[in-house]
Amino acid sequence: MPVWQVALVLNLVFAIALGLGYAGWGRRAATLDRELDAARVQVERLERERQACAGGARAGKQQWGGRGVVRGVYPRLLIITHEEIRGLLPARTTSFRAASPALAESLHVGDPIRFSLRGTLADDVAVVAVERW
Amino acid sequence: MRALLLGALWIHLASGVLLVGAFAMLLLAGQPRVLTARRWDQRLVAWARALVVVALGSGVVWLLVRTAVFENRPQAAFEPRAIAHVMVDTWPGLVWLARHGLLIVLGAFVAIRASVDERRNWIAARGEALLLASLALALVSASSHAAAISPGTAPSVAGDVTHLLATGVWLGGLVALIPLLRAAARDEGADARPYAVIAARRFSRVALIAMLLLLGSGVTNALAQVESIPALAGTTHGRLLLAKLAMLLPILGVAIVNRTRVLPAVAAPNGMRRLAIFVGVEAGLALVLVALAAAMTLTTPARHAAPVWPLPFRLSLDELLEAPARWRALVGSQLAAAGVVGLATALLVRRGRLLVLGGAIALVAIGAGVGLPPLVVDAYPTSYRRPLLTYHAASIASGVTVYRERCAGCHDARWLTSRSISRRHAGELFWLVSRGIPERGMPGFDTRLTEAQRWDVINYIRAAGAAEASTSLGGRIEAERAWMIAPDFTVAVGPLAPGALRDYRGRRMVLVVLYTLPGSRGRLAELARMYDVLWVMGVEIIAVPTQASPEAIAELGASPPILFPVVTDGAREIVAAYGMVAPGPHAEILIDRQGYVRAIWRGEGGAVQAQVEKLNAEKSPPPFPDDHVH
Repeated sequence: MPVWQVALVLNLVFAIALGLGYAGWGRRAATLDRELDAARVQVERLERERQACAGGARAGKQQWGGRGVVRGVYPRLLIITHEEIRGLLPARTTSFRAASPALAESLHVGDPIRFSLRGTLADDVAVVAVERW
Repeated sequence: MRALLLGALWIHLASGVLLVGAFAMLLLAGQPRVLTARRWDQRLVAWARALVVVALGSGVVWLLVRTAVFENRPQAAFEPRAIAHVMVDTWPGLVWLARHGLLIVLGAFVAIRASVDERRNWIAARGEALLLASLALALVSASSHAAAISPGTAPSVAGDVTHLLATGVWLGGLVALIPLLRAAARDEGADARPYAVIAARRFSRVALIAMLLLLGSGVTNALAQVESIPALAGTTHGRLLLAKLAMLLPILGVAIVNRTRVLPAVAAPNGMRRLAIFVGVEAGLALVLVALAAAMTLTTPARHAAPVWPLPFRLSLDELLEAPARWRALVGSQLAAAGVVGLATALLVRRGRLLVLGGAIALVAIGAGVGLPPLVVDAYPTSYRRPLLTYHAASIASGVTVYRERCAGCHDARWLTSRSISRRHAGELFWLVSRGIPERGMPGFDTRLTEAQRWDVINYIRAAGAAEASTSLGGRIEAERAWMIAPDFTVAVGPLAPGALRDYRGRRMVLVVLYTLPGSRGRLAELARMYDVLWVMGVEIIAVPTQASPEAIAELGASPPILFPVVTDGAREIVAAYGMVAPGPHAEILIDRQGYVRAIWRGEGGAVQAQVEKLNAEKSPPPFPDDHVH
């Protein structure tokens, strides 16, 4: 086999190996990363649904836990400066609906609390439980 | 261990460079037809086989030593699991695998003893070898200092690859040329003289381009890795670069002599032998250069190392603020500029060149003698040292305490804010605080205060200087003029994870409100009503009680609801730092998105909204300030 053909074959092998390597491994690795992230989100969602179910909520509702400081108290509304609520909200100050007026009775502005939210979306969640942090 | 690592890396890099140069030189010279030239071709290929073995061997030694260094155990160099871990689980290990895989393929390729008499076979054989050798050499950049630069990784790596390949073509080509010139210089090799002359001339042209690429990529690499004069003069990496530049000067001298004197006379008797000697000298010096480059790759890049300033003085442009110094510097600079013009003229004129040159050098010297002395100030080894602590309210507050206890007895408030202090680098203040000024009776505090406490004092001195200058700042912002850096502070609201003022940089303006109840209640209520509007305009309000209290939020009460962050922990430090510029029971400080104080309302609130509109209208925001004082 002439040397120029050997060189040509060698370069072709390199090019094909790089292409196949990217197609078979590089792209697959990126896809697996995406699938893993999606699976994580799904697992977290199922865990929140399980918690909501255990608390007596109807199917489809989820339950989130959060920590924060009370900034405003109204019979049906709590304003809380909270840390990130994973899967729902970033750290910020948010007004949440209180599931029952009794929840607000023992709270005062400045109280550090742990709270549970239940609902389907950020817009319809309500505080269902509060305890002192 | 370090010497072994350096030795292995030098041999590895040198063999890689020589491999690239050997095949580049062969392709430049063209397929040899005469016997002596064919023998040279065969000899270079035989060298290449040996060089591949040397490169692989030194590469393996490098890997073993790196494994020992990585594991911090000498015996790890002989443990297969540790070696495999470094090879497979680290980025330099993966790059090592790829590079040595290429070297093995190159070794197999040059080991093939096939006929290359036909022109296309010869070109394919040498071209393929050059390609494989170049890839193996260029991949060094993938795990070099250049690959660690972010952002701008791609241009840095491209510059590094250019530097490596240009070195390969130039240095490797030089070494490959020597045996051809020596063979052609002998009587029995006279048949190769025309071929050698063509090869030398072609190489000379390509080497000039390679040298220009080397210089260009070297400058870009230096700018990325070194960044500043203190880093160049005060770090091991920078000094190795200076040594490289010093070594480059004689190399360039020999190269110029080669190109202008020796090469044109190559056809003369003994011309070939003389060229071989000069090329050998150039190649020998260049191999020292590669050793210095290898040492540089093993040292911390200058921009990350703490510089130790080597001179007892430095030049300070701050001195230009004084009128006499300004005039002397102006006169000196004009004389020096005239001298530079004279130097350029000396290159162009033929008659009286020496006279013009002498006059020009004298002008530059006189200009430097007149203009530079007023800019000279005392310097110390720590002049350019980066402070241990950032410019933070907690550090300033701690500095206030230390200063009052240890310094205020001798230094009054006027000294604290004097120009001679504010013009000093933080590193110089650190040296003076640590070592003292014995001739003035000031003791050193290096054993009496911890290093952190000394930096606290320096942060306080800087804050005091800024406070003195801040009297010009009021309730109206000066458009496009940001100079006062806002000290960072921790924003701790109850037990929530604390944030920092600097978290808002690039995102939001911040209105820091130092308040005292009950006097500030009305203004806080007003701000609470304005909060939505200010938020939409890009402002966050951070309220800091002057009477620091963990119950600060509860003390504000429920009506009206105050929803912006109220600092419940660390307020004392913030008040200590910001109270220097805005004392009083109530003050408001507007900080722009870059982190500069732009407006101060002392004693009462102001028309924040109007000033925020002006900040939003600014076209060219200043750069983000450094987190450390300097």
